[in-house]
Amino acid sequence: MLNFFTDSVLRGPTIGCMLMAMAASIVGVIAFLRKRSLVGEALSHATYPGVILAVMLGAIWMPENDSALSLLILLGAFISALLGLFIIDALEKYLKVPADSALCLILSAFFGIGLTVASHIQFTHTTEYKQSLIYLYGQAATMTDIHILIYGLLALLISFAVIIFYKELQIVNFDNVYARSLKIPTRLINVLTFFLIVLAVVIGIRSVGVVLMSAMLIAPAVAARQLTHKLSHMLWIAAAIGLISGFLGNVFSVELSQYYSKDLPGRALSLPTGPMIVIVSTALCLLALLFAPERGLIIRLCRVLFFRHVCFRENLLKYFWRQGEGSTFTMSQIRQAQDSGRVYIFLVVCGLINDGWLIKKNGLYKLTRDGYLRSAHIVRLHRLWEVYLADYLGVGAERVHRNADEMEHIITPELEKQLIHLLQDPKMDPHQQPIPPRELI
Amino acid sequence: MIIAYSNPYTGNDFGQFFITFFYRFYQFMTGQLQWKELVSDEIQLLVLSGIALASALVGSFLVLRKMAMLANALSHTILLGIVLAFIITRHLALGEELSQGIDFRAMLIASVVTGIATTFLTEFFHKTARLQEDASIGLVFTSLFALGILLVTVFTRNAHIGTEVVMGNADALHIDDIGLAWKIFLGDAIIIILFFKEFQATTFDIGFSRAVGISTPFFNYLLMILVSATAIGAFRAVGVLMVLAFLVAPALSARLLTNSLKKLLWIAMGLSVLATFCGVALARHLLSVYDMPLSTGGVIVCMLVVIYIVAIILSPNRGVLARILNQRAVLNTIGTKKAQD
Repeated sequence: MLNFFTDSVLRGPTIGCMLMAMAASIVGVIAFLRKRSLVGEALSHATYPGVILAVMLGAIWMPENDSALSLLILLGAFISALLGLFIIDALEKYLKVPADSALCLILSAFFGIGLTVASHIQFTHTTEYKQSLIYLYGQAATMTDIHILIYGLLALLISFAVIIFYKELQIVNFDNVYARSLKIPTRLINVLTFFLIVLAVVIGIRSVGVVLMSAMLIAPAVAARQLTHKLSHMLWIAAAIGLISGFLGNVFSVELSQYYSKDLPGRALSLPTGPMIVIVSTALCLLALLFAPERGLIIRLCRVLFFRHVCFRENLLKYFWRQGEGSTFTMSQIRQAQDSGRVYIFLVVCGLINDGWLIKKNGLYKLTRDGYLRSAHIVRLHRLWEVYLADYLGVGAERVHRNADEMEHIITPELEKQLIHLLQDPKMDPHQQPIPPRELI
Repeated sequence: MIIAYSNPYTGNDFGQFFITFFYRFYQFMTGQLQWKELVSDEIQLLVLSGIALASALVGSFLVLRKMAMLANALSHTILLGIVLAFIITRHLALGEELSQGIDFRAMLIASVVTGIATTFLTEFFHKTARLQEDASIGLVFTSLFALGILLVTVFTRNAHIGTEVVMGNADALHIDDIGLAWKIFLGDAIIIILFFKEFQATTFDIGFSRAVGISTPFFNYLLMILVSATAIGAFRAVGVLMVLAFLVAPALSARLLTNSLKKLLWIAMGLSVLATFCGVALARHLLSVYDMPLSTGGVIVCMLVVIYIVAIILSPNRGVLARILNQRAVLNTIGTKKAQD
């Protein structure tokens, strides 16, 4: 693994991609929070005519100078993306074109114009045209130390800009009106934001390519959003995910290419690095979407299932309570009363026995004293809530039951205390049934 | 049998192109010219105008429904759809297939599957995983596109095959592509004519369509399937990215010129065909006069942009010219009022 940082051939792509992905992730967080994630997609395509023109000019002025050509291409891409951004803005503002159509139009129009010019230089400057193809899909493998230097500096520039203007960016993003009342130049900050996005896109097209660049803005930001609520944490996490996916993308593309080429020596396969980086970052993002501690899909699903389980247990207890203290039940009676699978009911009953709320004697089930009190408490909560709904919210007595059926599982001891205080410890619920008294519990 | 023929358009400039075209069209209609004798310019013209018509029709609804970026997503994901369709139909010689023409059924499968899958995944991330819409679109299509590129690379061992998919190549079009392009246009047109009322209702008033029992999600999916079919039909000629210009630009231009949906569809289709004719003629002109062989698809996209700019200037209500005239009229009235006072 370490040789990816020391080997003189692997070093360029690896470190270059990591820095690029980091810069894109940081900027992507800001774009994501403004709900403008797709701007990156339009802008990355809008760089294409700039790249082609720069390649053409470079071919005319300085055919042999490689690093100067790289810089010229960066400049061309930057200017053309800025132009695209400007036109998108103008279309939305002055012609009231919907945002998505404006992005789509600029994306395809710029790409088409770039392609027209490219088809011209395809014949006049063939070698330079091949160079420009690199920028379409990106080609990390040919990056050298000079690229690390250029991209490193630009990535640092982006990071520092975000650190220095952190407060302003935060306020402008979350509360624009408040920002204006603080006399923060919101327009300037907006311009800076989009300037940074353009810069990050321009850095990225060398390694990931015009076509896939926007993924680097989106995936790490989405993943980071899943894991935290704080902007500063989000920036750090996104940057880390960017670095990791830049690194792993390189590792996978090199290792898998070797793996696939091993058995077919004649037809060497080189998996492109750019798509690999994108796949890695999306995979990380998917993991975060599924397993993030609070917002993850699976975790949320587990929470829902657990809550349903709790409800079922408590409903079962309520059923026992309703039959009166000391009554006994057979398993088939329980099964008839509760609509659920055999195995599940059995497991729940076992759980209740384990908690000491239910005992089994001669194949008959009976509530213990603890279990009886516990059930009474649930019923008490149910009826307290019904009283609250009927007396305080003016809900008709015939409609309160359903809502109380859910709330009885949720009400916390603190909430119960407040309810008692508010309702002055009522004795009867709206259906004129007694509420189990507090002293009992 | 290979018929050796010379292209009658060689050396034509912009005007001569149309003269030759109409002469040959006359010959064709009177039976002096056979279907097989069509030359590359005419094949391009026919294929591209079929694509242009289909895209303008479908694209108008996309623009009005503010779903253009979903179309962008689709145009990327069809790459994966094509690859998967070929794996399923065991056409593993992908490199050859892509350059020689594609089995119609495989393409249809690919377009339907990708249309549904992309829309479903985007909706899933948006609704179930509670991700904001722009990010879920971006996440889905970039990852699927990256997967598509990797699969193409693994199966064809050639990283540059994707270049053709992205850029398209109008010069490699074959006479069979004409039928394909027009089949797709006819399919789009028939479905839109059949369900015109439903599309109209779900585009403009979701509440109303729900009230009368039209399912908006169903027509969203249907539209997405049409878009992916159109994009698949177009990608060999103009590439997956430039087809977006075909989808969006005519509709946006037509939107500036009219407020009625039916007129908008007609105008959009008319403009797109105009752009196609001018584009093919201009590409020929540039080749004949300046010796510049340009990508025909690219030239047409440039024409679409030019048409849009003209529409911006000349639009009767929102145009630049109309605004200036309006301003002047107001100033004049104020001036005469002041003079009267």
